[in-house]
Parts: sequence; structure tokens; C-alpha cells
Amino acid sequence: MENLTIAASERSPEVNFDVAAGVLQIKGESYPEDASSVFGPIFTALQDYLAQADGNGLKVDFELIYFNSSSAKALMNMFQMLENAKGTDIVVNWQFMADDETMKEFGEDFSEDLSHVTFNLVAVS
Amino acid sequence: MLAKQYRAFKSTLDERGIVFSFSGYLSEGILYSLGDALRQKMALEDTDVTTIKKVFSVFVEQSQNIIRYSADKVQGNLGKTVELSSGMVTIGSENGRFFIVCGNIILEDDMEKLRGRLETLRGMGKDEIKAYYKEQLREPPDEGSRGATIGLIEIARRASDPIEFDFDRIDADRHFFCLKVSI
Repeated sequence: MENLTIAASERSPEVNFDVAAGVLQIKGESYPEDASSVFGPIFTALQDYLAQADGNGLKVDFELIYFNSSSAKALMNMFQMLENAKGTDIVVNWQFMADDETMKEFGEDFSEDLSHVTFNLVAVS
Repeated sequence: MLAKQYRAFKSTLDERGIVFSFSGYLSEGILYSLGDALRQKMALEDTDVTTIKKVFSVFVEQSQNIIRYSADKVQGNLGKTVELSSGMVTIGSENGRFFIVCGNIILEDDMEKLRGRLETLRGMGKDEIKAYYKEQLREPPDEGSRGATIGLIEIARRASDPIEFDFDRIDADRHFFCLKVSI
């Protein structure tokens, strides 16, 4: 499969999925009216990767500053998808600015249901 | 006369502490530009990061609710499909707090459902709203809601006081709906 590279727009994040390295980065802000336009291609790429991971792990790095409620729902779906991929070692790094309570709380909310996925809350200043 | 009229109009807005007010057809592009100016204005006034985030989030959710649900829309094709929704978004400050008010026309048929959702949220405490948000995050969306439930919970979650809302009947089929949130 091919790498997925999407540049940031005014209301959508930058996405980089390096398939060979097994690293997906999602960075910036996400508040399009229709969250599926942003997350649809990411879901498809993740499904393809997980179906043929063959023992390779996956690292997902989030550096999100802000997202709207429909993006939050899409992120929750993404975490459910990762949690169900039992055959793959998955590490999520949820990076947030140390003074940003909102993004920290979202990280805590998302991590609650996860047991198979290793979820790291990473405060940066 | 012209300047006098509009000065009076602007003074009325200023006296109410209004920082921005938009009335008319909203699009995602306008939402972006207004939101950007709003964040810059708050940052210039040394507003703390968490407050800026909360105000911005309520602004986005309220504006997107107007874009999705306003009963006053124009649609057409200008090379691509264009849909514009009419409504009002107002941001201001009073008593040391920010407030965000949105207003738009809704249909009689949608009113009771919306009122029910808002009354449920107004009756909840902070922890209950947070738990309800987490529960709804895990639910498939309601039929036809395009994400309304979670958007309203997000708004209530960021509010410092219980949300205020009201409906003003226009005619047999329509109401003007208003929602005010203080942060």
C-alpha cells in the first residue's frame, strides 16, 4: 500500500502515514462541517495497514490543537478500530500543550476504553 | 441621518458588550474567518488558553448548528453545490465573562425535540454532562441528526453557567430559536 499524505487546510489537520515505518501522524486542527471528509481516507488507510500488518506494529502520533464534536466522534471510532486490531502492537502518543486542559481531558476520555492499545499522554510546553 | 442611524445601531451593540455580531447567510468560510478573528482578539487581550478554547469551541458548534439546521436556507448550483444558512452569531463580554448567542429559524416540527434535548442538558451538573458526553461519543449518531446531540453536549460542557435558551413563535410553522452560553 502507498503512504498517505494530506496537507493541512484551514479547518483540517495535516496527515502523514508512513507505511514502511508504521507511523501515522495527525497534526493541527479539525473542524470541518463533515468530519468524514477528513477521517474517511485515514480510516481506509488504517484498515488496509492493519489487514496486512503481518506482525509489524503501529505508532500513531496526535498533535491536535482543536477539533469539533463531529471530529471527536470520528476519533472515538478510530480508537475503537485500533482497539479491535488485536494482532498488531499499537502505541498512541497523545501530545498536548501543558496548559491546555481541554486536550488533556480528551486524551483521558479516549484512553479509558483502551486495554490492547498503549496510550501515552504527552504534555509539552 | 445615515451615520446617526448606524452609530445608534453600533452603540446598542457596544452597550451590550458585543465584540462581534454576524447576521445573515453563514458559510464554513465565514465561520473560519470570524473564528480566527475571535481567537486573535482574545489572545491580544491575554485571555488564558483554556478560556480561548472554550469560547472558540462553543462558537464553532453553534455556528455549525446554524449551518446544518437553520430552516432559512438558500441552495443552488454555482459550478458546485452551494448551501447558505441564515442565522445570527453574537459574541460579547459582560460581568467579566464571555457570552456567545446564536439565533436561527427552526420548524415547528423540530422544536419539541430540540427543547427536550436542551432541557435535559440544562438540568445536568458538570459531572453528569461529562458522563453524558462520553456516553454519546460511543453511540452511533441519531437518525437525521448529523451530529446534533454531541454538539449540544459539547456546548453545555464548556459553559460556566447553565445554558439559556428560548423560542419565539413567528407563525404556525416556525420559531426563532436562541441559545446563550456564558464562559
